[in-house]
Amino acid sequence: MAKSLWMEDAVTLHELFVAGEVRATDIVEHHLERLNARDPVIRAFLHVAAEQARAQAAVQDRWSPAERAERPLSGVPVAIKDNIVTETMPTTAASRILQNFYAPYNATVVDKLYEAGAIVIGKTNLDEFAMGSSTEHSAFYPTRNPWALDRVPGGSSGGSAAAVAAGMVPLALGSDTGGSIRQPSAYCGIIGMKPTYGRVSRYGLIAFASSLDQIGPMARRVRDLRALYDVIAGPDPRDATSLPDTTDATPLSRPWRIGVPREYFGEGLDPEIRHVLDRHLSQLRAEGHEIRDISLPHTRFAIAAYYLIAPAEASSNLSRYDGIRYGFRRESRDLVTLYEATRDEGFGPEVKRRILLGTHALSSGYYDAYYLTAQKVRTLIRRDFDDAFHTVDFVVTPTTPEVAFRLGERSDDPLTMYLGDIYTVTANLAGLPAISLPVGWAHGLPVGVQWLAKPLADHQLLEAAEALEGLLPPVRFPEEVEG
Amino acid sequence: MGLSDQEILHVARLARLRLTTAELPGIRRDLNRVLDYVSQLQALDLADIPPTMHVVNMEMPLRDDVVAPSLSVEEATKNAPQVEAGMFKVPRIVESEGGGDDG
Amino acid sequence: MSAAFDVIIGLEVHVELKTASKLFCGCSTAFGSAPNSQTCPVCLGMPGVLPVLNREAVRLAVRSALALNCTVRPYSKFDRKQYFYPDLPKAYQISQYDLPLAEYGWVNIRPSGQDVKRVGIRRIHLEEDAGKLNHLGQRLGDAVGSLVDLNRAGVPLIEIVSEPDMRSAEEARLYLTELRAVLSYLDVSDLRMEEGSLRCDANVSLRPRGYTGSLEELPRVEIKNVNSIRNVQRGIEYEIARQAELLSRGERIVRETRGFDDVSGRTYSQRSKEEAHDYRYFPEPDLPPLVLQSEWIEKERAALPPLPDAIRQDLIARGIPDKDVEVLVLDREAYQYWKEASPAFSDDRLLVNWMLSDVSRLLNAQGRTFGDCPVRPRQLVELLTLIQEGTLSGRMAKEVLDAMFETGQDAKTVVKQKGLSQITDESALMQVVQRVLEAHAHVVEDYLSGKDKALAYLVGQVMKETRGQAKPDLVNRLLKEAIRGGQTVSG
Ligand SMILES: [Zn+2]
Repeated sequence: MAKSLWMEDAVTLHELFVAGEVRATDIVEHHLERLNARDPVIRAFLHVAAEQARAQAAVQDRWSPAERAERPLSGVPVAIKDNIVTETMPTTAASRILQNFYAPYNATVVDKLYEAGAIVIGKTNLDEFAMGSSTEHSAFYPTRNPWALDRVPGGSSGGSAAAVAAGMVPLALGSDTGGSIRQPSAYCGIIGMKPTYGRVSRYGLIAFASSLDQIGPMARRVRDLRALYDVIAGPDPRDATSLPDTTDATPLSRPWRIGVPREYFGEGLDPEIRHVLDRHLSQLRAEGHEIRDISLPHTRFAIAAYYLIAPAEASSNLSRYDGIRYGFRRESRDLVTLYEATRDEGFGPEVKRRILLGTHALSSGYYDAYYLTAQKVRTLIRRDFDDAFHTVDFVVTPTTPEVAFRLGERSDDPLTMYLGDIYTVTANLAGLPAISLPVGWAHGLPVGVQWLAKPLADHQLLEAAEALEGLLPPVRFPEEVEG
Repeated sequence: MGLSDQEILHVARLARLRLTTAELPGIRRDLNRVLDYVSQLQALDLADIPPTMHVVNMEMPLRDDVVAPSLSVEEATKNAPQVEAGMFKVPRIVESEGGGDDG
Repeated sequence: MSAAFDVIIGLEVHVELKTASKLFCGCSTAFGSAPNSQTCPVCLGMPGVLPVLNREAVRLAVRSALALNCTVRPYSKFDRKQYFYPDLPKAYQISQYDLPLAEYGWVNIRPSGQDVKRVGIRRIHLEEDAGKLNHLGQRLGDAVGSLVDLNRAGVPLIEIVSEPDMRSAEEARLYLTELRAVLSYLDVSDLRMEEGSLRCDANVSLRPRGYTGSLEELPRVEIKNVNSIRNVQRGIEYEIARQAELLSRGERIVRETRGFDDVSGRTYSQRSKEEAHDYRYFPEPDLPPLVLQSEWIEKERAALPPLPDAIRQDLIARGIPDKDVEVLVLDREAYQYWKEASPAFSDDRLLVNWMLSDVSRLLNAQGRTFGDCPVRPRQLVELLTLIQEGTLSGRMAKEVLDAMFETGQDAKTVVKQKGLSQITDESALMQVVQRVLEAHAHVVEDYLSGKDKALAYLVGQVMKETRGQAKPDLVNRLLKEAIRGGQTVSG
């Protein structure tokens, strides 16, 4: 074979497998080999299920071509962010409080992956309970950016992003509450999508901020991303917020009307990233698309709204970790002491910070000023987008204001870390689908461009991304990069 | 007008988090920086703006009243740190701590 | 009651709804299973789980609300009520806060010697139940630990919050009794206080005469989790006396939660509400708003069964005494028993009288209810018909009823087996009458001299001779005829 199987994209691997040209076992072994070579340094995985993956591959190798073909991801290795619940592997959310937790059930997306023939390689690292933008807030160890080992991969889906970028898996699941798929995808030079809120079941996603959380696909190629999206999306009777199957199937007509919101190109944006974005926009113009200057005036309030809503919901969602039914427990002489000791030792500092902030925002006398106010601002942000999508098909922005930062650089400065989410949180607040695509390089590091579409236009967004792929730099691997 | 140590300790108690005196100054600084930052929202006139409680316009889907299999007691309790007679064991509950509201 | 203050009572009643599965998951709601055998990731509050609302729970809640004259909201929502306790797996209860399912209803109560009084219902909302703690030790206070059983966690509840309209423990008792009766006709709950499927918390405060502030500001004592209606009444009575005593000594009443000890009949302090809970309610992000179509609500309204107030009117119109009407109305099984028997029997008063005296006595003795009465309505009607026809005397009928209770046999079968039918053969009876008259000649003279009571004695003697099998009015007639005939003969 001309190139190693780990370098292939997911759809190609599936096709080779269906055609009987490669065995699933070979695919799995190549990826495990790659993983074993790279992950001791990158540390993208919290749990590698090598034996289960091999067993799955062995079963699939006995499948007929028809059986292989009817499962769209047969033969394809996939990694799962470790805040998505799996029955046969531990699920920790990168928190000490869930160390050694084995859920008695699978998340809906996990069931869907297995049904689709995906071979689950393992669980990837994240910021504890997905709270963070660097994967440094994992209770176990930080993950490194495959392109620069002294830098963060972004977060919170940093493990998934790094694993895909480094070629350990062609596909991974992430979750995105304020940019947690898109920002690490941008930092690691891969593609990541946050679907419309409600398109992918949240059943089995360990809740961070329930009204914002959404599971999404991460890949190196758009068609891979799309294949994974098609497997995981759809209504789920176990999730009351999952949308009925009402995807907007309106075909996308050319030229596209592309809105460029001026608020996303102002102060704080790294000039080199701006330069990469400008070149992207010129290419689009050259392709005949229409670029429009638009305004999303309430963007500047998005971080403030987000950092009230998300911690408020998180404080509630994380109350169940009390050391009684599962997870870590610090034995104590009475119940209150047990609660406090368990949660004190079980949660890391960033999680505690957000629980405190969220508890305060919901507490008596503050609800209106904080939580309710933030939800009203959310309405204004939605209206901004509603107005914009009257005149444009897509909104294009940088994914992040800066490239991947150095490990340790932000860990003592929560607010600055929060402000880095400025371009991504609006999609969560408004429930929109959004994709980050690797659009170029700045300071020798990957740069992401974010494409947003109106709610339910997930397929149009994927279609556009696929059409755009030709304008993007070719897929590379951070082969010889060492820290 | 940031949070005082006393207020932070009250919030910590509500959240069942223990804060040591050593970590209090750092927490106070971080929380107050964020609260100071979010206070910019107070400048907006939001009187006529409805809140977005759900980002998608949906109505409650309803489930048929059909009994589905439960977990076995072993499965239900397999992750529990302390189990006795198929139940989750907790230490002494001091009455003044309340809770048990609708029990 | 002292003239110095008014008693203000409001009740919060929790009712477990009779669904097959829990409110937000498919686990069974059956009572009494092995601990934690009816749990799943959802009701255990496992990481990542989500709630999905049970349609039948909504229907039963709406049915209850309509029967209690509430307005059902077309748009309501769920909220999280947050507090840490081992019986609450998620550390929040999914409940309804500012947009409850229904509001503004009422229940009519009938304090004796007074007019019908309307007690307002402020709201009814749907929520999930908590699990159960089994304390290792005698009481919570000295327990060394507790064991958590989550079978009950997630069972659907409605909370019915009254207005503070009740002015005495007796009114509270009447309200609860009436509420339970209404719910019993709806068949929405088992309503067993001892099993916890009906629970009541009472808020009691005393309002000094001349007080002009709001009720909310009065120091209010909440009596929690009392296990019977009788004990709710006792607890309130004790609490009124306790608070009155405090006030009379010029002491302050503390806003607090108190428990009730049914042995001593006293309430005791559980926790101070001065430092009220901060439940940090916020809208449940996992559940979209509950939207109910008005056509659907009206369909449920139309499907309501006859309810106590209408049943009362009907029974009174049939000439059943008020006292018996109340007993029947408040016992749905008794009412249904009557309803089944009544069309086949012409005398409702006699039927109800037998049901509420003799049948009730036998049921009580066996700890049974009308729902599982071994004598079915049809059988009782047959027995009463034998009385009406004169085949059995009342006394004989009681004996037959006893046997029917024992054996489940029909009245006629028992009568035949025991050889128990009234002697209706006049010539046979006349011989006994003659014997009695001869043996008691001086009593006959008393009778003839105007002592009417003497006849009753003679009737009794005839009944004794016939072992009760004679029909009393027939004996009466024959005695009179014989005495009159005897006069003629001798005169
Ligand atoms: Zn359950």
